[in-house]
Amino acid sequence: MTGDPPPHPAERFDEVFDAYFVEIHRYAAKRLGPDAAGDVAAQTFLEAFRQRRRYDPERAGVRTWLYGIATKVVGRHQRAETRALRARARLGPGRGAEEHTERVDARVSAQGLRGELAGAIAALPRGQRDVLLLVALADLSHDEVAAALGISYGTVGSRLSRARTTLRRALGGTNPMLTLEEQHG
Amino acid sequence: MDEVRMVRDSYPEPAPPTAREIARAKSLLAGPPRRSRPRLLWGLGGVVAAGAATAVALTLVGGNAPAPPQPTGPVHLDDKALVLAAAEKAEQQPTGVYWHTDVVQGQSFIVRAKTGTYAITGALDEMFGWWGAKSGMGEGHYGRDLPARPVTARDAALWRKAGSPSTFRVWAGDHYDTYTTKAQKWQMDGVNKGTDPHGGGSLVGALGMSVEELQKLPSDSAKLAEMFLSDKTIYKKEHPMGAPAGRTRQVPPAVKLHLAGALAQNPVQPKVRAGLMRAATTQPGIHAIGRDTDPLGRPGVALAADDTASTWTGEYGGPQAARGTYRSRKVIVFDQRTGAMLSEQEELTKPGGPYAEMKPGFIIDYVAYRSAGWTDTKPSPSAELPFR
Repeated sequence: MTGDPPPHPAERFDEVFDAYFVEIHRYAAKRLGPDAAGDVAAQTFLEAFRQRRRYDPERAGVRTWLYGIATKVVGRHQRAETRALRARARLGPGRGAEEHTERVDARVSAQGLRGELAGAIAALPRGQRDVLLLVALADLSHDEVAAALGISYGTVGSRLSRARTTLRRALGGTNPMLTLEEQHG
Repeated sequence: MDEVRMVRDSYPEPAPPTAREIARAKSLLAGPPRRSRPRLLWGLGGVVAAGAATAVALTLVGGNAPAPPQPTGPVHLDDKALVLAAAEKAEQQPTGVYWHTDVVQGQSFIVRAKTGTYAITGALDEMFGWWGAKSGMGEGHYGRDLPARPVTARDAALWRKAGSPSTFRVWAGDHYDTYTTKAQKWQMDGVNKGTDPHGGGSLVGALGMSVEELQKLPSDSAKLAEMFLSDKTIYKKEHPMGAPAGRTRQVPPAVKLHLAGALAQNPVQPKVRAGLMRAATTQPGIHAIGRDTDPLGRPGVALAADDTASTWTGEYGGPQAARGTYRSRKVIVFDQRTGAMLSEQEELTKPGGPYAEMKPGFIIDYVAYRSAGWTDTKPSPSAELPFR
């Protein structure tokens, strides 16, 4: 059993808030879009605040702990995330109706890739998506992801590689060679 | 290609929080302390919960009285007829007030022992979730890691020959993983786990669809194919702002098969599930392949997509023996008796690369639906392992 805990969010929560609110907000905005980001970040810190006495510095750094809570909160907004992924596909480069020049074609395929990627991420199982996005968006290490999500190191690795494989397979279809020109007249 | 970097680069940089957002978040902390719940802290009440509570009231499909049981089918059925017969059964399944899914996921790994190469299933986990049909009826999510295990009886014999090791260190394509034969109890703590007494009604939608939208799907297979599986509609969904005229994209059959399967395991009306299965059989590049066994050993009938090649290049390192090209195809398996979706898996068609020593039909990875469906009482997961 532990004796005296080291410095702890329980005593200095305002410092924790000031240090990490912007970063957690950014993570939430990337996953759910700007509308939900404020709510998700606020809810993350409220839950962290309520759990602050149970925070265990032996298990995870404060930043990792906060990302774990934020990911839980994001999980409850799963439909919002799917909507955000779709919206992002819509707002990719190549936006606008004036699609005339050949240069636009290149942009259109980039937009297609983006849409496909967003769709592929949306279709990942939650567990895999959480691992992938904690690595890609929050730059957490495998150890940190394991601590944040309460899963084993091995599970982090396997989920990440499965997500990668799925994305690779899904994006295989966006090879420009597969975009067909249909015959005109 | 580095998928993680691609994902990172694809997310645009969002605007920082406004002063108002920061102030509001801070003011929440100043409120009176509430009793914290031991597990997941769900709905907050007020602002935040509003987003999650856009739950759609689900109209239960009470109206479609189950068709009278029909005498079991003819003696001989061809492959396509087998799938269609399963689709008929899907139309007769009852509905209820709680939806649940029990999903086992696993991945095969090659163990190159001195006494002989064999395959194990690792990264094995099981997720059990239930949802009340309407918001406020609650929902619960459980998860557990399952023991790694030799894939076939032959693999088991080679595993015993290697001294029945209880841990396996295996190359997973971009890193080494270690899996053990240890079982885990059902976990209720952690991300995506826990109980929400106020939940239900939403969350189960496929690809962003609400339960209500799922319930309103037509059962006509031609309409379903048009809505979800045609190149044109998939391409349109990828270009919601308007696709350039005269262009289309050949959507790989495996993607279409996945889309059909993903929808079929959702709480759609049974006749919609049947319609989806019929729709899938009409797609080019998707074939009925007759009887197959799912990864949990259950017999069924299957649809498969045309196979594709994959290459392990060694760009992330790993053993030399794991490099090279193999071909595989996506397969979905249905229960012939009930029409239930049993599994979606990637099956080896042409051995090579990491799977050079495996036989065609070898399952590379899978998602198996141990059970999924409606019940009238609150479901709970079985302590029993899905494998004997």
